[in-house]
Amino acid sequence: MSSTLADLSIATFAIHEVVEGTRTGRDGSTLVVDVPQLAVGARSDALAEVTVEVVRPDDPVRIANVLDVVLPDVGADDLDGTFPGLLDHGRREWFPTGRIHRVDGVVVLSVCDWRAAGAPDADELPDAYVDMAGPGVDRNPWAGDVAVVVRCVPAPGVPVADADAAVRRASLLVARALASTTLGESPDRIDLCRHPSTVEAAPDLPALAAVLQIASEGPLVDTFRLGRAMGTFAPTVVDPREPLAGAIVSGAYDWPAVRNVTAVYQGSALVRELLAGHGERFRMAGLVLAPGYLDGADEKQRAASRTAELLAELDADAAVCTTFSSGNSHTDTMLTIRACEQRGIAAVGVLAETNGGLTDHVPEADCLVSTGNEDELVDAWTPERVIGTEGDARVGEQVPTWAYVGACVETGDARLTAVPA
Amino acid sequence: MTTARGPIVHYLNQFFAGLGGEEAAGHEAVRIDGPVGPGRALAAAGLAPDVTLACGDDRFGEHEEESLGTLLAWLDQLRPAVLVCGPAFGSGRYGYACGVLAREAGRRGIPVVTAMTPDSPGVIAAEGAAYVVPSGSNVAAMKDVVPVVARLALTLAAGDQPGPPDEEGYLPRARRANVLVERTGAERAIELVLVKLRGDVRTEIEPPAELVHPAPAVADPRTVTVALVTESGCVPVGNPDRLQTRRAATWLRYPIDGLGSLDADAYTSVHAGFDTSNAQADPNRLVPLDAARALERDGAIGRLHGEFYTTSGVDTPVASAVAIGREIAAALREAQVGAVILTGT
Repeated sequence: MSSTLADLSIATFAIHEVVEGTRTGRDGSTLVVDVPQLAVGARSDALAEVTVEVVRPDDPVRIANVLDVVLPDVGADDLDGTFPGLLDHGRREWFPTGRIHRVDGVVVLSVCDWRAAGAPDADELPDAYVDMAGPGVDRNPWAGDVAVVVRCVPAPGVPVADADAAVRRASLLVARALASTTLGESPDRIDLCRHPSTVEAAPDLPALAAVLQIASEGPLVDTFRLGRAMGTFAPTVVDPREPLAGAIVSGAYDWPAVRNVTAVYQGSALVRELLAGHGERFRMAGLVLAPGYLDGADEKQRAASRTAELLAELDADAAVCTTFSSGNSHTDTMLTIRACEQRGIAAVGVLAETNGGLTDHVPEADCLVSTGNEDELVDAWTPERVIGTEGDARVGEQVPTWAYVGACVETGDARLTAVPA
Repeated sequence: MTTARGPIVHYLNQFFAGLGGEEAAGHEAVRIDGPVGPGRALAAAGLAPDVTLACGDDRFGEHEEESLGTLLAWLDQLRPAVLVCGPAFGSGRYGYACGVLAREAGRRGIPVVTAMTPDSPGVIAAEGAAYVVPSGSNVAAMKDVVPVVARLALTLAAGDQPGPPDEEGYLPRARRANVLVERTGAERAIELVLVKLRGDVRTEIEPPAELVHPAPAVADPRTVTVALVTESGCVPVGNPDRLQTRRAATWLRYPIDGLGSLDADAYTSVHAGFDTSNAQADPNRLVPLDAARALERDGAIGRLHGEFYTTSGVDTPVASAVAIGREIAAALREAQVGAVILTGT
């Protein structure tokens, strides 16, 4: 067995309480956070200011201008391999193997007010909230977790791409620092993620594959794989454990509810379910990364056809087709479903709805999972405090679901759905 | 029958309110205490209106803003537990008034039940804000529809959520409510695809009910007025009317009489869904005025309409897109436009 197929294990350490202290560390299920120390560790020349703040579940707080959500991870036997390509600058070969320590019950939120920083085109970025209490709390997939908020202010004159890279690095460094408190400790749980090709599975079991649609369109709307902006890429078969191991990191700050934040890749409910069921209810045929948000009809059709072709090469009987963001990318999903069905591969699409319908639909899309209605209004709420903006943050107003980060994410990681009303 | 949550309010047209027949269709909005006409049938079914509002059908249609303003002011004052509009049966004008009032009341958070034929313009006008009970086309359907309306209205007046459309007897509202469920989307997707492989196809999202079919070919384009319509976000430089760059809920129109083409110094695109660099270099690729003028000059089309219509078609909720389409189509009809060149991006 080559090293690329070695096991990946994710060791989870449950945290039930986060307290502030003079040294970041862990005492059983209590995480002690030295806030100034974390902020100092996250600084860079591209940022004028970095502050770290702890917000707990049920705190009457709205966090605004949320860019990303990250699970605290560290490579237990390869510290520099944590979030590969971003914290190690991509200096070496990396495989999704070895052991990751993950803190459960805590998420790191990166926050930056690009408008206030005067970033070009920042007006086009939508509001992005995480509510820790109030009526919007069930739009927060991480509502039960303590939020460690890393708020960054870009340094004047720094190009937006450089400032954004610094923001991303800051949140990843904080995430790694929090998870590093578990090194040398015994976890509460270990999930063994073996490459499916190394696990016996009866050939008569149905073969299921996952299609993870990703878009990467430039600064502030990029997705990074192994540290590089993915840009326009061809559909690719990858080791299905790549996202779980932190190889894919978000830098895309478009529509919050359907935003694939980094935590969604790290959590990858779909991949985990497929790995867990492999050899029992079905065989996991593989994972295809497929581009979404493509500009032209020809590009969309080519990508959909190539994705289906790869699925056929994987001998997939069926595929779960996820979606990246809303609108345009729904066409990519629909064409992929059609291409799969035309090859005899049963397909299910995972999509968010807008009030009253879908952006696109093909007759072959007869099997769809709803991840919720982006346009439903959430009752007005007046939090005691707003973090992340000096603006009004829609306090006391109804807030559309689309403004809540991760609420309707179309990877299958959340539990929201829409039903007839 | 005032409930703890507020009074029951009923809306009728001039005929059912006893104000008169067609000769009273211009009657201005009035407020009457207690049940009137079909309100008494509702009362017999257990839902006694406290207040009846009424307006002439023509008055509402010809002075919609004013009539609606009066009716909504009363509703704001009354803060009803539920509003019942109609039944309007097959009456287009009455159905429309019921639908518009229902929509606006719904937007104010007032639960609304109405009844009309499923093809009534009021169903569309309500935009899913009301529970619409399908009825027959004339008053003979009253005895069947009133108990259904009363039951639904009582449920809403109590602050409860009605059951699904097929059980409660109302038309699907094309509204989808978010709920948290036990299993993740991934778990549900795997389950769905496994049963699909066994031949059992299920879905959480039904396919769109309304398919848009291509319009028939224009018999003789040389005789018709042609309009240019776009969702490309094409506006005068500076976006003076603040067209939204995405999720637009409005549309705009700009004059093109006397223009041979769109000048790059004068027009731009504020569309947030595509790279607008090339379009900004030549806005005629968004709104093909130059080509349309050539067709006009050659006599291939009768005449080019004097305005182009524009919105930003990106991340637009379907309900907004439908409303924008209908409004633009109505304006084009009024201008006697016979064909449209619709450019999409």
